[in-house]
Amino acid sequence: MSEELFLASDVRENEIYGEACGEARTLCIFLAKYSSVLLGCGSTCIRLEKNVKRIAEAYGMEAELYIMPRHIQISVWEKSHTATVTVLEAVSPIGISFEVNTLLSRLSWEIADKKISFGEAIEIFEGIISCRKQKKFLIIILVALANASFCRLFGGDIAAMITVSISTAFGYLLKLILLKINIDVRMVVFLSALLSALIAGSAVEYSIGGTSRIALATSVLYLVPGIPFINSFSDVIYRHYICAFGRFFDAVVLTCCLSAGLFLAMKILGINMF
Amino acid sequence: MIGDILQDALFAAIAAIGFTSISRPPRLAYLFCGLIAAAGHSARYLLMSDTFSGMHILPATFLASLLIGCLSVFLSPIARFPAETCLFPSLLPMIPGMYAYKAFGAFVMCIMAESSASFDSVFFLFAHNALICGSILLAMVVGATIPIFIFSHISFQATR
Repeated sequence: MSEELFLASDVRENEIYGEACGEARTLCIFLAKYSSVLLGCGSTCIRLEKNVKRIAEAYGMEAELYIMPRHIQISVWEKSHTATVTVLEAVSPIGISFEVNTLLSRLSWEIADKKISFGEAIEIFEGIISCRKQKKFLIIILVALANASFCRLFGGDIAAMITVSISTAFGYLLKLILLKINIDVRMVVFLSALLSALIAGSAVEYSIGGTSRIALATSVLYLVPGIPFINSFSDVIYRHYICAFGRFFDAVVLTCCLSAGLFLAMKILGINMF
Repeated sequence: MIGDILQDALFAAIAAIGFTSISRPPRLAYLFCGLIAAAGHSARYLLMSDTFSGMHILPATFLASLLIGCLSVFLSPIARFPAETCLFPSLLPMIPGMYAYKAFGAFVMCIMAESSASFDSVFFLFAHNALICGSILLAMVVGATIPIFIFSHISFQATR
């Protein structure tokens, strides 16, 4: 009799453990995918940490993250510590998107406040990450206008602004084309900077306007990876040093690539820096 | 003077809106980024102008970034997006591009310098511009992140 009871309790324990482990595993896989997309779209580490813990808490679990520049390791366990699951996921290369960042943050609050079901959360998540088309032509115009305004802020005249907007439009168009055919992003930045600087450098060569050097200096600034730079400092403030260093170094490498493109264009055109 | 400030605000707003578009933001963010960048950049312009206080670019950038950070934190709950969505693109018009360009130019000239005297003069240019560029970046980021850090209960609940 006692043996039967022991077996029964053993089976029951296994069932409970298996169920808990299954729930933790499912949630962990979801959170790993969620984290991978959120970090890939340019979220800061602190936001990622808060969102993931909020979701885990809402489903009665606890979570802890280990964030690396290209990978995320996430552990999820029941509060009673009956089962712990760990998943390692590569950071999704979706590119910076504040819209995805916003929608994923909202999702975490909807899970926490409205107590939406797990199935519903997955459905919303898949809706968020499904590809959203951007109006590429409009963005090229906006970026060209932005860089021309940048040129004005640095003291450029109308001729310099026009030069910058043309060089930016062509450089950005090249960037989009090269990214579409899966060229390495560092090479893309180098080639785009080269093209933009060659166009803007022509204004210096032919003495178009009185501030053509400002146009040349500004022509590549749309390629400066400003958001990774700022994100890296934000990560430092919250003591995510490894990720901060990774982002900072990534941004430095891209800045070196654009500087190399600018330098090569100046060499080709025979323009001195000062 | 007012005309200059308005012009500065306008171009900063256009720059912020354009650079925001690269980061695929929610539609409403364009408006917020434009307004916040205009306020921040024109505040820096005002602080640096001789008729107002003639402040050095470094403290002026820090104060302007603080303003941008505060506006982003307090406006983000209205639009229900993270404070960073407005904060980062609004800071971009203040990036010290000309200093970075001059520092890079001087760096290249340092490598190519053929005499000690010419190396000394271009190394001074390199060090001076690089230090100013780095300090401005630091002032920008620290100034803008302080409000997020202090008002974390607002900034991390903006999407609620």
